[in-house]
Amino acid sequence: MTATVRLVRLILRRDRLRLPAWLVGLVGLMAVSAQSIHSLYGTDEAARAYVATVGDNPALVMFAGPGYGFDRPTSGVVLVNETMLWLALAAGLMSVFLVNRHTRAEEESERADLIRSTVVGRHAPVVAALAVTAGVNVAVALGVAAVTLAFGFPVAGTVALAAAIGLVGMAFGATTAVAAQVAGTGRGAVGLGSALLGLAFVVRGVGDVRAPALSWLTPFGWGIGVRAYAGERWWTLAGLVGFIGVGTATALALSARRDLGRGLLPERPGPAGAGAVTLHPVGLAWRLQRGTVLGWAVGVFLAGLVYGSVADDVETMMADNPQLADYLAQIAGASLAQAYLATAIRMLGLVVGGFAVASALRNRSEEAAGYAELLLAAPLSRWRWGLAHLAVTLVASIGLVTLGGLGTGLAYAQTSGDAGQLVTMTMAALASAPAVLVLAGIATLLFGWVPHATPAAWAALALFAVVQLFATVLRLPHWVTLLSPFGHVPSVPAEPWRILPLVLLGLLAAALLGVGLVGFRRRDLAAA
Amino acid sequence: MTCVISCRALTKWFGATAALDGLDLDVAEGEIHGFLGPNGAGKTVTIRILLGLIRPDGGTATLFGDDPWADAVTLHRRLAYVPGDTNLWPNLTGGEIIDLLGQLRGGLDPARRTELIDRFDLDPRKKARAYSKGNRQKVALVAALASGAPLLILDEPTAGLDPLMEAVFQDTVLDTVAEGRTVLLSSHVLAEVERLCQRVTIIRKGRTVETGSLAEMRLVSRTTITAELAGDGGSLASLPGVHDLRVDGPRVMFEVDHEALAAVAGRLGELGLRSLVSSPPTLEELFLRHYGDELEHGGVDHPVVAPRLEADP
Repeated sequence: MTATVRLVRLILRRDRLRLPAWLVGLVGLMAVSAQSIHSLYGTDEAARAYVATVGDNPALVMFAGPGYGFDRPTSGVVLVNETMLWLALAAGLMSVFLVNRHTRAEEESERADLIRSTVVGRHAPVVAALAVTAGVNVAVALGVAAVTLAFGFPVAGTVALAAAIGLVGMAFGATTAVAAQVAGTGRGAVGLGSALLGLAFVVRGVGDVRAPALSWLTPFGWGIGVRAYAGERWWTLAGLVGFIGVGTATALALSARRDLGRGLLPERPGPAGAGAVTLHPVGLAWRLQRGTVLGWAVGVFLAGLVYGSVADDVETMMADNPQLADYLAQIAGASLAQAYLATAIRMLGLVVGGFAVASALRNRSEEAAGYAELLLAAPLSRWRWGLAHLAVTLVASIGLVTLGGLGTGLAYAQTSGDAGQLVTMTMAALASAPAVLVLAGIATLLFGWVPHATPAAWAALALFAVVQLFATVLRLPHWVTLLSPFGHVPSVPAEPWRILPLVLLGLLAAALLGVGLVGFRRRDLAAA
Repeated sequence: MTCVISCRALTKWFGATAALDGLDLDVAEGEIHGFLGPNGAGKTVTIRILLGLIRPDGGTATLFGDDPWADAVTLHRRLAYVPGDTNLWPNLTGGEIIDLLGQLRGGLDPARRTELIDRFDLDPRKKARAYSKGNRQKVALVAALASGAPLLILDEPTAGLDPLMEAVFQDTVLDTVAEGRTVLLSSHVLAEVERLCQRVTIIRKGRTVETGSLAEMRLVSRTTITAELAGDGGSLASLPGVHDLRVDGPRVMFEVDHEALAAVAGRLGELGLRSLVSSPPTLEELFLRHYGDELEHGGVDHPVVAPRLEADP
């Protein structure tokens, strides 16, 4: 572990903008949420009203939590229900990216060899990456605690909430450290790390709706299980610490028996010549993105199946709960199951938005790696090269959205006995496709005109997600929700179809893609 | 002479620094043209302009008479490029990449592909991530050499190759030129340039400092003479055109201007010549003549050729 401290300083230097951005984003989100909830649900009476109308809706259990403390509602209970899961998810994502960036992804550059050739211990890079990630999660927890306390939330509950968010985030840092040892590439490691995060998210949701024991298989379950503001159970935090310890030890043990730059899975020889698919630019783009697309396809389809299969429970539980009559009345004409399904499908759309951004930015990463230079020095125009990857982005994004709807519809059709749901849900999912493509358009626009600012596409996705997920709790004015392309998508099947906004979104996406590629044609290609 | 590549007063700025500052380059059809310069002189920038990957800020560049930026795609049908630092898709095999690049350039001759893979001793079934730097370079070389492109643009193509493979590379390039193709070869391996190139262009800080055939350059430079004499060599110092005379017993070593060579040879005969070695200036000496002052700045004590030998063509 020699030189760990030096490597920590190197990481802090390299990420001197990235780390504060995460910190400010997460803490800022908590600050506005705490402010809003404090002013809206500051009295116990208001909190009881929240629980009666929104909080006890079993459909929301999937995307909020089991609702600890709903028997004696306070503003703290509302805060936990509205923010905890999402902040823990965001902290988890942050940790997945950070750990991979400084371990497995770094090994793909020759920098890692250079670093390891100096007086640096075998474990130092992994330990340094985990130490920085832990530090940032601690900083997030401290920031979350500070802004929450500032609005007068009780101390014990606030400490529990903040600590749980930081620990859940770090737990996924630890799982990614393990994934980084197993996967063959940095891309594979980040895929595996995110897949574990997504799986944990879905399993926790199903657990809380159907089988509480399942929730305890995931860090989310242990984090929410601390019951902040509702009679804290501090031992669950100890469980998270233990999980992080075991993950770290596993990662270190694996890293000691692995070659630098290789995964634990052996490398097989490939074909001696290119097949017909690889020879075409679109085929090559498909070949390069294939693994990612297939991974996403499995994930989105499974998530859809899970969400769809729970929808019927929502209906049943609702029948036992006359309190929800008000809520039903709010979404005129739609059944609770439909409202839930519309939410689930919208969520899948946002998730596929993440794929669309990553995939559209593939043009940028191919350029930065120097691969684009090889192809563009051949008689291949910038249009065709740029469109090849985007073709994969477009088709795969639409395909993934469809698969999510198909999964949801399949499961819901099966449990509700209404085969027509298969078509309804698939079509409903397709409604978010134009919004997803707008994200690909934003990424391409940045790629074409300000290639160094392409990470801003992720910021756009984060912004849209926040607008989507926090619109209610933050009481955002209607026009703010319309800033997000997802704000224009009709909530099918809870709402009727509106075609015009979808057509306009589609045209916007096409315009962004076109203008982006025009910019790319006009600019200098970056050197590798 | 038909110019395949022609650059006039090229300039390119990266922020406040000039990467190219009035660079001229002419490459004639059918020649192997050496493109030399120290690190950061602007060789790769020039090549990227010629490939239409970046646009010059001033001056003109033409490739087969056309604009490399505007006509990039049509021009690229007629050239093959090997980058200095070849980055390959880690999850594709070498064979797949060779086929891909070949296909993009309009197809490659399968027999030639097989022959080159064999000559370069490359395993085409390995994934690119498993290749060493030299092997990645071989992939790009095989793809370029197996294409029928009439122009090859090679940017330090032998960086990372072992000496055996370097020899294979040189033979293969000579073969391609025998077929009438043109090669622009940017290189630091002076022995390689001397063996392959008829003409060279030497650039420095984004400008062309010398261009011409190696034979011409030698004419305006000095020949190194080492001789053993019966008589006293000290008197040679008084002859015009003799420089840096060193006398070590019967042995003398000095440099002589090309035009004074005949007179000096006569004088050597008079002094009782026993043995004589005459070496024309190497490319290394030509090269260092232009960078000699830079070397002194860098703290190198004994540049092979002293700066005062400066002789402008």
